[in-house]
Order: sequence, then C-alpha cells, then structure tokens
Amino acid sequence: MGIVYLMLTISLCIAAFFLGFFFWATKNGQFDDDYGPSVRILFEDEPTNKDV
Amino acid sequence: MHSNCYHCGEKLPLRPILEHDHEFCCTGCAHVFGILQQNDLSAFYSYEPMAGTKPRKERADQFAFLDLPEIQDRYILFKNEQQIKVTLSLPSIHCSSCIYLLEHLNQIDARILHVQVHFARKEAAITFAPSLAFSELAHLLQFIGYEPDFSRIEGKDKKRNHQFLFQIGVAGFAFGSIMLWSTPEYFGLGKDNPEFRAYTSLLSFIVSIPVLLFSAKAYFISAFKALRSKTINLDVPITLGIIALYLQSLIQIFSWEGAGYMDSFAGFIFFLLIGKWFQSITYASLAFDRDYTSFFPVAVQRLDGESKTIVSVEQLSIGDTIQIRNEEIIPCDSYLCSDEAYIDYSFVTGESIPTRILKGDLVYAGGQIQGLSATLTVKALTNRSHLTQLWNETKNKIPSNQLIRYQDRIAQYFLIILLFIAFGSGIVWYFLDAALIFKVVVSVLIVACPCALALSAPFTLGNTLRALGKSGLYLKNVTVVEALTSVDTIVLDKTGTLTDPNSYEIATDYNDLDDLSFAVFVNLARQSTHPYSKVFAQQNEAIELLELQQIKEIKGEGLTAIYQGEFYQMGSALFTEIGTPKGNELLLKKGEKSARLIFKSSWRTHAIKKLIKYFGAANCYVLSGDQQQDAKELETLGFLSHHLFFKQDPQDKASAIQAFQKQGKKVLFIGDGLNDVGALGLAEVGIALSEDMFRFTPSSDAILDAKFLEQLPQLVSLGRYAKKVLQLCLAFSLSYNIFGLSIAISGQLTPLFAAIFMPVSSITIVVLSTALVQLKFRILFKS
Repeated sequence: MGIVYLMLTISLCIAAFFLGFFFWATKNGQFDDDYGPSVRILFEDEPTNKDV
Repeated sequence: MHSNCYHCGEKLPLRPILEHDHEFCCTGCAHVFGILQQNDLSAFYSYEPMAGTKPRKERADQFAFLDLPEIQDRYILFKNEQQIKVTLSLPSIHCSSCIYLLEHLNQIDARILHVQVHFARKEAAITFAPSLAFSELAHLLQFIGYEPDFSRIEGKDKKRNHQFLFQIGVAGFAFGSIMLWSTPEYFGLGKDNPEFRAYTSLLSFIVSIPVLLFSAKAYFISAFKALRSKTINLDVPITLGIIALYLQSLIQIFSWEGAGYMDSFAGFIFFLLIGKWFQSITYASLAFDRDYTSFFPVAVQRLDGESKTIVSVEQLSIGDTIQIRNEEIIPCDSYLCSDEAYIDYSFVTGESIPTRILKGDLVYAGGQIQGLSATLTVKALTNRSHLTQLWNETKNKIPSNQLIRYQDRIAQYFLIILLFIAFGSGIVWYFLDAALIFKVVVSVLIVACPCALALSAPFTLGNTLRALGKSGLYLKNVTVVEALTSVDTIVLDKTGTLTDPNSYEIATDYNDLDDLSFAVFVNLARQSTHPYSKVFAQQNEAIELLELQQIKEIKGEGLTAIYQGEFYQMGSALFTEIGTPKGNELLLKKGEKSARLIFKSSWRTHAIKKLIKYFGAANCYVLSGDQQQDAKELETLGFLSHHLFFKQDPQDKASAIQAFQKQGKKVLFIGDGLNDVGALGLAEVGIALSEDMFRFTPSSDAILDAKFLEQLPQLVSLGRYAKKVLQLCLAFSLSYNIFGLSIAISGQLTPLFAAIFMPVSSITIVVLSTALVQLKFRILFKS
C-alpha cells in the first residue's frame, strides 16, 4: 500500500514539472504566434542564405 | 495571358507593363519583381501566387526623420557597435510569402542580419548592422511593399500579458492532479482507507490554494465590484457557488468526513477560464483605439533662417516656421506664410475638394497639403489644435459602456430564485432531518452554480466573433456582437463610405483628339498634383513617356506645355476657354481640337442597394460633409430625400446620432474618416470602413473591410441569430441546473455526481453553440 503514496507524490512532481515547463514556454512566447512557425518550416534552405 | 498583375494580383490596366515575360500593373510592381529575381528570391511567388503588395510611391525624404537620435530611440530596442534591433509594425504582412520574403531580406541587403516575423501582430523584429541607416531600412521595406507604420510603437513599453495563460495552467494542473488521486473516492473506496483519504485530501487542499487565490481572483474582484455598485452580474452567483463549494470541501476535509469537492472546484474554474480565453481572442494586429497622435506625422521640417532641420512634432514651439510638402499632413494649427496653398481637409470635414488658402490665413491641423510645399508659422501645438480638441471632446461624451450584458440581466433573476430555493429547501429539511440542513443548502448552492450558464455567452459570442472576422468584419470584442443584434437604424457617411475613394469614373463627354495628343495630355497630367490629373494619369499609366517642353502649371487652374512645336492646354473650363464651367471636369485643348473629361467618384451601388433592402429605406440615413451636389443620385439609389443631410461637420454628425438616439433608435453608424470619430463613438455600433485594413482607421467598435460592405446584411443577421443561439444555450443550461437542483434538494449529491455532472453540462453547451453558429455561417456565406 505504501507504494501508492510514493507514486502519488512522484506524479504530483511530474505534473508540477510540466506546469513549470508550460510557464517557461508561455514566457518565451511559444504561444504568441500560431501561424508563422507552421509556414517557416516549409521554406527551402537555399545555399545563398547567409545565416547569422 | 493572365489579366492580373503577376506581383500584386491587381487587375491589369489597359496597357500593362511587360517585363521578364510577366505582366505588371505598374512600374513599382515590376521593379520589386526584378529585385527579387536578382536576389534568388523568386520562391516568393511559389508559396502564394500574386502575393505582393503594390508599393506606394515614397515621398522625398519621407523617412529622413528616422535618423534623428531622439526619434530612433522610440523604436530601437537594443543597440551596440555590431547590431541594432528594432521591432516594426508592417501592416501589409498577410501570407506565407510575406514571411518568406521578409525573413530572407539579407539576400537583398547583407547589412540586414536577421528578421523574424510575428504574423499575428504583423510585426517584424529586425536586426541590422549600424552601417545601414534606419531610414534606408524603412526605405527598402517601403520599396518592396511593406511600408512600416511608425505611428504604432511596438516592442517597447509593451509588457506581454501572460498572466491569464498562467491562471489557466494552474487551474488545469490542479484539476488533473486532484482527479487522479480522487479516483478511489469515485468508486466508494475512500471510506475503507481513512489514512489514504487523509493524505489525498490534504494534497487536494494544498493544490487548491493557488487555484482559489490566483486563478479565480478575477471572479471575486468582479463580483465584489458589482455588489459595491449595488448591481448584480453573473459573477455574483458564480462567486457564491465557488465559495460554497470551497467551504464545504474544507469542512469535509478537516472534519475527516470525506474528500470534498476539490476536483469539481478546480475543474469549474478551469472551464470558466477556458470560456473567457475563447472569447478574449481578438485581432492583435488591428488597432481599434487609435488616438490622434497616430494620425499626425512624427516629425516635420523646421526652417531656422536658411537652414532646414527635421525635428519631432513634440519639439515644435509656437512661432516656429515649418515646411510641409506635397501630401504631408499639417501637424498643428498655423498661419500660412507662402503666398497660397491648396489644402485637402477631407480627413477632417469629409469635403473632398481641396480648399485654396492665402497668405496669412489660418490652417487647421489635419489638413493635407496638395501640390507645392507650403511654409507655415505654428499658432498652436498639436495637442491644443482644433482637431485634437474636437477629438477629445467627442471622446468625453461617449458614455462608458453601459450596455448590460444579456447574461448579467438573467443573473439577477437567477440569483433571487437560487436564494429562494436554497432557503426553501432549508426550511423543508428542518422538518425532515434538521442535521442535514447545512449539507442540503450548500449542495443547492454548489449545483446551481451557473457554470454552463457562464459558458453559454463566451462560446456563442466568441464563435460569432470569429465567424464575422472570417467574412471581413472585425469586432473589437464580444459586447459588440450583442450591440449589433439590437440596431434598427443605419446611418452612413457619404464620401469614402458610399463612394469608393479609389475609383473614379472618367466619362469622356466629347473627344476629337488623336492618339498622340492624348498621350501628350497623359504625360502632362503626370506633372500635375491636382487630384483629377492624378487620376487621369494613373488610369493611363502605361502610356509611354514623352519629353514635353516648357511645362507650366498655373495652380488650381491648369497646365500648358509644348510638344513638337504644338501648344497643349489642360485644366478648367475658364483656363482653356472652352464653354462654361460645369464642375468635376478636366478639359484638354490643342489648337481647335479639344476633349472634356468628367470625373465622378463611383458609388458602391451594389452594396448600397443591399443595405437599403435589408434595413428598409425608412431606416437609412446619410450624413455627408460634402455639398449637396449628389442628392439626386442618392435618391435614385434608393435613399429618402429627407433622410439625406449635407454640410455636416464632425460636431453635427455626432449631434445627429444623439438626436436619433433620443427618438429611441439604435444606431449603426458606418464611416471612414476622422470627421466621423464623434459619430462612431456615440452610435450603438460604430463601424469604420477601411480600404486597407491595417492602415489608419478612426477609433471604432468594429472595422469592416470595404470589399465586404455588401455582405453587411448577412453579417447583421448572423449577429441576430447568435442571440437566439445564446437564448437556447441558456435554456439548456437552466434545465441542467433544475435537474441538478432536484438531486441536491433531495440530499443525494455525491462528489462523483458533481464530478460528472458539471463537465457534461458545460461540454454540451460548448458543442451546441459552436455547431449552431458554424452551421448558420455556412448557410449564409457558402451558398
């Protein structure tokens, strides 16, 4: 029976970790623009593109 | 061959420009194509065909002000020796090709180091090397069709507000976690394991604290505010329910009786916040509340003796001499120092014909100089000018949004009935089993908590807001949907609203000129800044360039020139000495031969007819800043003659709206200019009609893409339909509440029942409202 206490605590920690991760992503602007990234991934990488 | 410009997709003129095997509508488009071709950016055309934006002609030194350090500081986010970072608002961003082109700008100019486009806000974060002047960057963007809008200062002073998402996150986290360890409780196993129950209840309590204090705080604040101002809104019964739920749970947990309803509590907050989030999504790239400063130029040329300096408008002081060039806007009330000037006040008054001003006359801020540049002496600063004062005055008159939300009106009755039932069942249980009174009363408050009721409005109105946005009407927020359903009178501005400012019809009255002379006149018209000449030149843009000699312009009257020894005259009837002036005309004369062109701004006939049909001629009015000359035509279009009002200045328009409202009418006003600001603010719904969505629009409740004016009847009926859907959803949620109440009154409410009942009722409401609004939208627009 004791194992269930441990597992609950661990699951709570994992959930808290994801909550923190969500906070971090929000702060980073991950949810700000929902169109740009979906298009950007389709652009061809041309050799002339001088990346910085 | 195609009939549209390869770059911008606009309809090709009679004589398109042929370059690189493609046809273009103007030299601007052809140049951009050439530049993209040279820099290996032709992929621009493959992501979205004809994705370009027609570049606007740049005025000389239009961006020179950007090289002033104090103005630069407003836009620059970061600067060191290697790089400068700015965030610019580029209103013409509209598709994937735009993102492609802007993010590959370094192929055109290697000094641009990095660009990242934020599509939803139509912004670009640009990093460039200091060897590239800020004004050059603006120039390049303008050249390829992305003119920056410097009236919106982006990036700086904007604190991104993520608090709301955090609140949802916390509530969702608590909801999920508590449900996980409440599972045994749902199967009735909690009683047998008191130790386990104590442990999980304690965890639930800890996790619920941030939900109560952080996620739900907006509801407490709103309910408290409502009660303090002695009103009741929907947040009052919600708060009551939340508190009852939470207190009951606390009592159960700490008396070791049960696990409480913490899962329902967290889920409840979570769903409510999701609803709020759904309706709060607005159009980040549109500005509904622009103030006058975004209309005036950022900087002007000041004359100090012989030398010219560019200074920002705030630095001007009374008595300064400034120079305003063609098409620039006068930033402050001033006296004219030049001999004469032509000023287009159409933004301020709606009058479309330029006014002639003589030396020493007072000119008002907001006028646009036409033709030769003018020197002015500043009389009053921008924030003290006539136009700004008018703006602020009408703004102050606008009542703060007094519209009571529909669901709040229902909430008042709801609360009374709820308290009555709670009290009544308390009395009944006093006789049945006095020990259960508290439990029953609290259960009533918990189950009756109007969660589904609270979700009906956000989802129905939010869905409608989105559907309207898809068809070109962008509302400021969901309260406008409700206001839109109640309008019965439509008041329209004339110039720019009923007429299409971009299209003039040129009718040729008579023409006995040969093709060559005609071409000479087109070339002559290119030299002039008179609005009619400009239209004439634009409509014949493809005609080849000719070398004219001795071009002379007599301001406001006409032009003369010599070509191959022949004398050409173009201008008013008096100037060319042909017949008597009839107005709105341009006369061309070569020797004995002549032609007469008549200019008329074209009506949006189709849209006007549809509007009159939908609202009924008795409910349609026109307020025009112009003279009466168009009254006849408006009547033929279907307006009643006594519903037409002319020579209305901005103040008149605002008072007219108030007069309609005194008669009990609910007014929908559609306008497009600064002169409509007062009327737009006062009307129940003020819609700013815009040719170019992302350019200047006066502050308003909604922005309508001018292309979709004729769809307005459908849009209004969609709004009216939304109200019916809302009523249906409310009926549904009330019946859920009654069902729940009957369980609660009989004293049988269990945590399991609460945990299932609440989400199920909410989800049906969400599905119902979404499906109904979408269905109606398809029926209205897809057929």
